[in-house]
Amino acid sequence: MSDSIRDRLKPAEDTPEVHHAEHPAGDPVVSTHHAYHPDLRNDPKRAKRAEIAVSALFLLAVVGVIGFVVTYIAAPFNFGTANYQTFTPLLGIFMTLALTGIGSGAVLWAKTLMVDEETVQERHHLASDPKDRAETVEILKEGFEESGLPRRSLLRNSILLGAGSLAVLPVPLLFGLGRFQHKEAVLSKTGWKAGSRLLDELGRPVKLGDLEVGGVKSVFPDVPGGRRMADSAALLIRMLPEDLHTSPSRKDWVQEGHIVYSVICTHLGCPVKLYEQQTHHLFCPCHQSTFDAANEAKVLFGPAARNLPQLAISVDADGYFVAQGDFTEPVGPSFWERKPSYSDKVGA
Amino acid sequence: MTSTRSRISGYAVVVLALALVGGLYTAFAAPKPKADTGTNQSIAVKEGRQLYLQGCSTCHGLSNQGGAGGPSLIGVGASAVVFQVESGRMPLASAAAQAPRKAVKYDRTQIDQLAAYVQSLGGGPTLPSGPLDDGNLALGGDLFRTNCSSCHNFAGAGGALTRAKYAPALKPADARVIWAAMQSGPENMPRFSDNQLTPDEKKAITTYVRFITNQNKDPGGAALGHYGPIPEGLVVFLVGIGVLIIVTLWIGARA
Repeated sequence: MSDSIRDRLKPAEDTPEVHHAEHPAGDPVVSTHHAYHPDLRNDPKRAKRAEIAVSALFLLAVVGVIGFVVTYIAAPFNFGTANYQTFTPLLGIFMTLALTGIGSGAVLWAKTLMVDEETVQERHHLASDPKDRAETVEILKEGFEESGLPRRSLLRNSILLGAGSLAVLPVPLLFGLGRFQHKEAVLSKTGWKAGSRLLDELGRPVKLGDLEVGGVKSVFPDVPGGRRMADSAALLIRMLPEDLHTSPSRKDWVQEGHIVYSVICTHLGCPVKLYEQQTHHLFCPCHQSTFDAANEAKVLFGPAARNLPQLAISVDADGYFVAQGDFTEPVGPSFWERKPSYSDKVGA
Repeated sequence: MTSTRSRISGYAVVVLALALVGGLYTAFAAPKPKADTGTNQSIAVKEGRQLYLQGCSTCHGLSNQGGAGGPSLIGVGASAVVFQVESGRMPLASAAAQAPRKAVKYDRTQIDQLAAYVQSLGGGPTLPSGPLDDGNLALGGDLFRTNCSSCHNFAGAGGALTRAKYAPALKPADARVIWAAMQSGPENMPRFSDNQLTPDEKKAITTYVRFITNQNKDPGGAALGHYGPIPEGLVVFLVGIGVLIIVTLWIGARA
C-alpha cells in the first residue's frame, strides 16, 4: 500500500467522473459540488477580517471565564444579601458567554477561513487478498505443528481440562445473585422490639392521651438510631374505637382507638403519611394507592397489592405506648423471597 | 421551504413553553380581615347567637343539633369558627368534596362574636391571646416537615388527596387560620392537640409557614408554584430544547 491518506483524499474536481459499475458497494452517487461560502484564499483582506472576527469570539470565551471566576470568588452566594438573586444568573450569563464564544467562533471559522471543497474517498473490498489469506493459514498450521500439541496428547488433554475448568469459576458467583441471596431474613426485620416506646420526631415518648380523636403522629422505635431507620417509620393514628375494625387475631394490637401502621407503601416504598381523619384514608402521593386505616390498612385503590403492615402496640405502666414486637411481616414493597403470607403471631 | 416550516415549528415550541410557564403562575390573594375587638363577652355570645341563627342555623340546626347539611357545633370550639369563617369556607356556597377558600363574609368583630357563641355551647379549642407567629423558626421547620409537609407540600403549596379532596395551599392563610386549623382539624385534616404539639411548637410551625410562604425569596427566579422538580424539569426541557432547536435550525438555514 503505497498511497497515503492524503493521496486517497483527492479533491473532487480532480476526479469528476467516479463510476464503478463493478464496485462491491454499487455506484457511489457523487453529487455535484456547490460552494457553501466564498473562497477567501485569494482575498487576504476579507480573510484577515474573518480571522479577527473568529479570534474576537474566542477571546469572548476568555472574558466569560474570567467573569465566572470573579463572580464566584468576589461575590459568593449568600442567601438574603443584596446580590443573592443575581449570583446564579450572573454565573449563567458568563458561562453562556464562554461556551457561545468558543462554539460560534468555531462555526464562523469553518464558514469563512476553512477551505470549502469536497473530497472523495474510494471504497474497496474489505477482505484481504487471497495470497495474504493463504499465507496466514500456513503460519497458523505451522505454529500448531511446532507447539507439539498434535503429538503430545497428555499436554493437549491437560490444557483442555485446565481451560475448561476455568468456566466453572464464575458459577459460585451466580449464587450471590437474585433469589439465591436469601434476603428474607434481613428484609423482615425493622428497628421495632418488644417493649420499645414510640418516639415522636423530636425523640419524646408518646403517651396515651397525647392524641385527640382524629390526630396522627409519626413514630419511631426507641432504639439507638431509631429515628433514622428508614424501614421503621410508622404512623400512630387515633380514631373513635367504634370506627376501628380489626380481625380477631389482631384485636389486642390496638389501644383505645390508637393504631399504628408502617408508612412505607407496599407498592414502591413511598411514605404513606397523607391521612384523612374523616374517611380514614391513608393516601400515597406517588401512585395514589389508598389504604383504609379503619380496616387494617386494606387497599381501597391504586397499584399497591397488600395492606400496610400493622404494628402491635400496648401501653406500659407509665402510660406510654410501647411496641409488642417487630412487624409480623416485611415492610415496604414486595421482593423475590417474600413469603405469600405471614402469621399474625407477634414475635414469631 | 423545509427551513421555513421547521422555523415555524421552532417558534411554536417556544410559544408553547412560554404559555406553560405563564400557566404555572398562580395568583394568590390573601384577604386579611382586621377589625378591633373588645366586645363584652356576654354581649358577644348574644350577638353571636343572632349571627348564628341568620347565617348558620339552616345547616347546623336551630339548636345546634346538626343535620343533613352540617355537623353539630357543640364542642368544636372557637378555633373551628375562626378557621372556617375567617378563611371564607363558611358559610358554605354549595356541597362539594371539600369547602373551598373564598371571600370572607363576616368582619373580625362578627367572627369573634360567632366564636364566642360556639365556644359557649360546649367548650373546645380556642386560640391563645398574644402574637401567634414569633416562634422558633428552625424548630418550626423540623415540625412542619414531619407533621405537615406530607399533605401540604414542602413549600406549603398544597396537594391532592383522595376523591377530589385536597390539602390547600398555605400562602393565603394567616397565623390565626393556621393555628385554628391545627387545633380544630377541619374536614379531613388531622387534629393536633396541645398535648401533641404544645403551643410553643404550634407557634414555631406558624412562624415557619408564614416565613416560607411569604418571604418571596426565590433565588432561582421563577418559583413555578413551588411544585418541585417536575414542572421545573418540564420548563427546562421545553424552553431549553426549544431554544436549541431554533439555534440548530438557524445554523442549518445559514449553511
